[in-house]
Amino acid sequence: MLTEQLIDDLTEKMQSVTPAPAPIWLFLKWGVGTMAYIAVALGFMGVRPDIMEKLHSPLFAVEIAVLSGIIASSLFAAALLAFPDMYQRQKTIWLPALMFLLFAAVLLMEFYADNPPAPLPPHTAECLLCISLLSLVPGAFILYGIRKFASTHYYMAGKVTTLAAFSIGALALRLSEPTDSMRHLVEWHYLPMLGAAVAGLFLGKLCLKW
Amino acid sequence: MNDTNRSLEELMRLALGGNKRAYSEALQATGRMLRPYISKRVAAQADVEEILQEILISVHKSRHTYDGNRPYKPWAFAIAKFRLHDHLRKVYSDELRYAAELEEAENIGNADVTNSGITYELIKGEIEKLPGKQPQILHLLHGEGHTSREVAKKMHMTESAVKVAAHRAYKVLKKKLAE
Repeated sequence: MLTEQLIDDLTEKMQSVTPAPAPIWLFLKWGVGTMAYIAVALGFMGVRPDIMEKLHSPLFAVEIAVLSGIIASSLFAAALLAFPDMYQRQKTIWLPALMFLLFAAVLLMEFYADNPPAPLPPHTAECLLCISLLSLVPGAFILYGIRKFASTHYYMAGKVTTLAAFSIGALALRLSEPTDSMRHLVEWHYLPMLGAAVAGLFLGKLCLKW
Repeated sequence: MNDTNRSLEELMRLALGGNKRAYSEALQATGRMLRPYISKRVAAQADVEEILQEILISVHKSRHTYDGNRPYKPWAFAIAKFRLHDHLRKVYSDELRYAAELEEAENIGNADVTNSGITYELIKGEIEKLPGKQPQILHLLHGEGHTSREVAKKMHMTESAVKVAAHRAYKVLKKKLAE
């Protein structure tokens, strides 16, 4: 088929379309959804009994703030990555990586502050399972949202989506589980976030190809 | 104002609202803009046209992600780059699939090629027994000496479909003639 003929065919088929909302609106929609989801999850699981006391601890408050920052930056990066040209804000998609580095630094500080170490909880992998289950709904919701657009960077889109989803699960569990053992938290709560981000690369290719 | 004097951003804004003339003009301008970009990266003219058409279809499918409020060219080039890489990935993976294994080449070198029971008539007979378009493809490729691109054009197939069909035929023939 000649290119001219293809253009004629496409023009013939063309109908008016409503332009997609700007990434900031997508981000706000997903952000509100995330807050509601965490609230519902905490409603089911219950908030840790010492939450008010813990929020007065600067390191815990910073940890929660930076974890929320990872969620926010990943959601915004996912919203940008839904567009073929990343809405011409390429540098912004590296924000989740920067936030994760900051988070690692906060965890390191908390690790040294955890002296003598808080007792290890009796459970181990249950936390990972719980975070994975909690991340399923937001992960599927965001991937479905991106699929409606046209991502040309599906590896990266998959990565930030799973990072956001796992961070949502990790935040909900941190606000619910009264465990302060940094070793447990790093091993079973936060390192899997990295693993999920790597798995997200392949998930992106699988789910977002068009 | 004539559509041709409008910027691509303006044409796309009109197109999103349903203006077919503006849309046609925008697609033509996109084609003119992208053809040199693809030609620089792909040598064969037929491939250039194929990739350009894939890009224009992608532009059509994803036009809702362009709102007319940001520059059009980076948006169109992002799609072009995506589709071009897709195409190149497919081509290179095909070439790797058809590349002969070194061990296979060594086996051929050691084989007794001067004393085999395989005759021209036997090969011809086996070729004729092949299913579908495979006999015709092999005849055009090896009997008439056409390239796979020329065969694809003659038989209204894609070049990779011709290569796949030929590869399958070689496999069947190899098996039959080894028996």
